[in-house]
Amino acid sequence: MIERLFPIIKRERRATVLAVIIILQALCAMFFLADVIIDLSEGGHLDDIHLVFEGVAALALICGVVYLMYELRDLLSRMEAMDVGIRAARGEMTTLIDVFFDQWQLTPSEREIAQFILKGISNEAIAQMRGTAPSTVRAQCTRIYQKAEVDGRAQLLSVFMEELFHAGEAVGKHI
Amino acid sequence: MPMNNTMNSGHSGARSLVVWDPLVRLIHWSLALSILLNGVVVDEDGNLHKWIGYVAVGLVGVRFVWGAVGTKYARFSVFPLNPVAALKHLTAILKGVDTVHLSHNPLGALMVYNIWATVIVIGLTGYMMGTIRFFGIEWVEKAHEIAFSWLLVSIALHVGGVIFDTWRSGVPLVRAMINGRKRIPKDRTVN
Ligand code: HEM
Repeated sequence: MIERLFPIIKRERRATVLAVIIILQALCAMFFLADVIIDLSEGGHLDDIHLVFEGVAALALICGVVYLMYELRDLLSRMEAMDVGIRAARGEMTTLIDVFFDQWQLTPSEREIAQFILKGISNEAIAQMRGTAPSTVRAQCTRIYQKAEVDGRAQLLSVFMEELFHAGEAVGKHI
Repeated sequence: MPMNNTMNSGHSGARSLVVWDPLVRLIHWSLALSILLNGVVVDEDGNLHKWIGYVAVGLVGVRFVWGAVGTKYARFSVFPLNPVAALKHLTAILKGVDTVHLSHNPLGALMVYNIWATVIVIGLTGYMMGTIRFFGIEWVEKAHEIAFSWLLVSIALHVGGVIFDTWRSGVPLVRAMINGRKRIPKDRTVN
């Protein structure tokens, strides 16, 4: 019932469980650490076996929290890749292109030029259509490639081609 | 379908992006709940008040680590504490600029850091009140109360800011804090 109201819960169950564990474990770590610090300041000694155990427990919990955080980040980035693949497979390429442009924070004119590039239009033709100098378009292209962290035209295209190729796989796995 | 249209003009359609991961959302609503409980429901002289306070500080602590190693839009580096940028953002709002921020906008970032710092001050002074050294010392108690009042003012501004920015940017921000996704209306630019 709840899952039907909030489909996000089902999709994100693993990530949410991880997040809950991270929070609980961090609070436990804080508790043990504070306890050790207070005991020490009240004249406790490190050769006290009780204190040693508490110290080790605190350390282990802290390591666990940091490790789980990296796991969570990894899981989330895999989920995002899958989400992109599913959108591509559904034929939502236009939306996907918008999302990538958002993530690269392209300006409105950079967006327009990037779309022309994806359609395979040459820089000269783009300059003509936009009524600007080719050198301006070239400079804007450089900015786009920088923001997208690619080397040039071919690589920019391949960002989207790759999603299309993996699209079938992602959907196959999901279903 | 307006597909060809959007492809030709450089205009974008409505789309949604995942921005807040589950950890950010859980910490946010747990922190809000803990402040609600301690401010309104729980007896402030009791033990429960103390424990909820420690939990609130712990939540902020976890968020700090996540701000260093977390997901893209949860990192401190994407919403730096920068009063100058906040001021610029304010003038941009007044000029009617309608860009969308995927993480916190510069003004929101200022408020977020303020809230975290205030929670820590409240936690610290609260702890001090319970220690032998500071027990019964007036300025500690006063600081605890003033910081809490400041937190209430901050939260009011925070919620007001969220409502205002939802209206200004057209992105349903509260929904994004619940399901993680910002829905960006068509033809808005992100920065
Ligand atoms: C005790 C109450 C609250 C506190 C202490 C609080 C604190 C915060 C903090 C620290 C953040 C930053 C989140 C992060 O980056 O981890 C945040 C963000 C946010 N809060 Fe709250 N909050 C409170 C109540 C609320 C309420 C009642 C709402 C709903 C109206 C709300 C809506 C939001 C939204 C939408 C964001 C994200 C803003 C953005 O998109 O930049 N908060 N809040």
